[in-house]
Amino acid sequence: MKLLTTTNRYHLALVTALFVLGTAALYYGLQRALAHEVDEQLGLHRTFLAERVQRTQALPPILTPNEFSISPAPRAEGYGDTLLLDPAEGTQVPFRQVTFRVQVQGRPYWLTVRKSLIETADVLQVVLTVMLPVMALLFVSLVLLNRWLSRWLWAPFQHTLAALRRYQLQQPQTLALPPTRIDEFSELNQAVTQLTERVAADYRALQEFTENAAHETQTPLAIMQAQLEQLMQLPELPAAAARPVQELYRGTLRLSRLHQALTLLSKIENRQFTDARPVRLDELLADKLEQLQDFAEAKQLQPELVVAAPLTVAMHPALADSLVSNLLQNAIKHNRHGGSLRVSLTAEALEIANTGPALSGDPMQLLGRFRKHNAASDSPGLGLSIAQQICAHYGYQLHYAYRAAQQLHILRVQF
Amino acid sequence: MKVLIVEDEAALRASLLDYLRHGGYVCESAETYRLAHEKIKLYQYDCVLVDLTLPDGAGLDLVRTLKADKSVAGVLIISARGALDDKVQALELGADDYLQKPFHLAELNARLRAVMRRRQFQGQPHLSFRDLTVFPDQALVLVKEQPVTLTRKEYDLLLFFLANPSRVLTKEAIAEHIWGDAADMADSFDFIYTHLKNLRKKLQELGADNYIRTIYGLGYKLEPA
Repeated sequence: MKLLTTTNRYHLALVTALFVLGTAALYYGLQRALAHEVDEQLGLHRTFLAERVQRTQALPPILTPNEFSISPAPRAEGYGDTLLLDPAEGTQVPFRQVTFRVQVQGRPYWLTVRKSLIETADVLQVVLTVMLPVMALLFVSLVLLNRWLSRWLWAPFQHTLAALRRYQLQQPQTLALPPTRIDEFSELNQAVTQLTERVAADYRALQEFTENAAHETQTPLAIMQAQLEQLMQLPELPAAAARPVQELYRGTLRLSRLHQALTLLSKIENRQFTDARPVRLDELLADKLEQLQDFAEAKQLQPELVVAAPLTVAMHPALADSLVSNLLQNAIKHNRHGGSLRVSLTAEALEIANTGPALSGDPMQLLGRFRKHNAASDSPGLGLSIAQQICAHYGYQLHYAYRAAQQLHILRVQF
Repeated sequence: MKVLIVEDEAALRASLLDYLRHGGYVCESAETYRLAHEKIKLYQYDCVLVDLTLPDGAGLDLVRTLKADKSVAGVLIISARGALDDKVQALELGADDYLQKPFHLAELNARLRAVMRRRQFQGQPHLSFRDLTVFPDQALVLVKEQPVTLTRKEYDLLLFFLANPSRVLTKEAIAEHIWGDAADMADSFDFIYTHLKNLRKKLQELGADNYIRTIYGLGYKLEPA
């Protein structure tokens, strides 16, 4: 929910509560003031009538029977409320009355003076007529004020937000945010600026570290490999030494391959491959299948390549190469003898289906690092994890499915 | 053929010098950018091997200098960085090939020969070895003047051997040369064995016997005689 909507809700609730309270207070206050005034007038009237009766020793004439009545029978004295029929309006109307006793020629009479009260409904109407527009005006002005505030006062915040949205780790530069008069926003901008400075510095450090680590490790590996190859050229190399040298050599190769794979993974994660070019996926698939032909033939596989239409994707050529070869190698490596391998390419997806024994455990774990089907295998088990990382880099989805009936593993890259 | 090796790691430089000298090249080396720059300005080389990271400069600047001087020398980049952008940039600058460290010496040698072949096309239209003659531009192989039909992989294998005569080629180096990244898949050594067996048989049928010898436990070697 928007901040503005939320504050408006609270404002509306407050205004409504205040309106109800204010209306009630005004209503009762008005009514009390009016009643007081009527009582005062009735008191004056009583004094006047009592004096007149005393002076003239005669009962005054009754002009309006609703407002003045005389009774020879005793009545309760003092102030009181009553309802009488108003002949003009034809409804019961509230009256305030005062009853008092007078002596006329020695006989007692009870005189009652009344005064019509203004109807409750009328008072309420007056009050609402005044209060409702006031409330509406108050609320509308609050909404307008908030809108104005959000547009002008919150502008620096929106600006910061937009800048953060555009921020990209691959081109880490410090965000230059314009100064603002509001303390909270300038604190926010300061914090964001410091954060991006730190992020940019860390990113550069990480990138340099990866590059240096790769360089510093590959160089000694290159020396080891070259020296071992030189050693193997020696005609006088004793036969007993050949095997250890061979093992050393293979170990060096494995280490360097592992290192290259890990470096590639971290480079993809650091988003260091920003240079995308158009790559013909169908041609790449055909090339790679041809390159892997020996491996497929050894397992008596007949790879099937079905291309719905030539497809060009924008990728870094090396990453496209790595994605396709890792997926194809995986499909051949884990295939069974005389099994099937079907590669289909459409505009939406690349699907590679291969036969193979069912997996034990969670299939999505396959994409994790160092997951091997066969623990004794020479390869470090990073292939699918590299494929997964490449897909994530380009926003593709890599799905895995297993059809138990045909023993078919399906890896699908959704573009 | 004169080759300049620009490499700052002493041990690697020594191995390169040794391997290439054995292969019949006249080699010189430079361990710093300054020294390398001086040499390429003073002398004419057929090929320059450049390491990209040097203590006092960038190897790519040497490539730029060579190209600016319109040098005829082939340029082969060797780099530990392996950053693919470096590779693209190096090739765009006009380097002939790019090899990532660590590499097989035999592979480096084969690439170097390929660069030379492309550069000095008129001078060396064919390769000769004992009774073998290969015309790389036509992918034609003759044994005692008789053409041999080889598969693509057998042909690649033969060229790799011809680039490194009388050197032990490890199965790993051969596998990587032929299958690249896929070389670490199981049973690639069996395929080498199969392809080699067929290649030997085809050469033998035309009288070229015992050219490729198996060095037990290590690999294979093309015998000069």
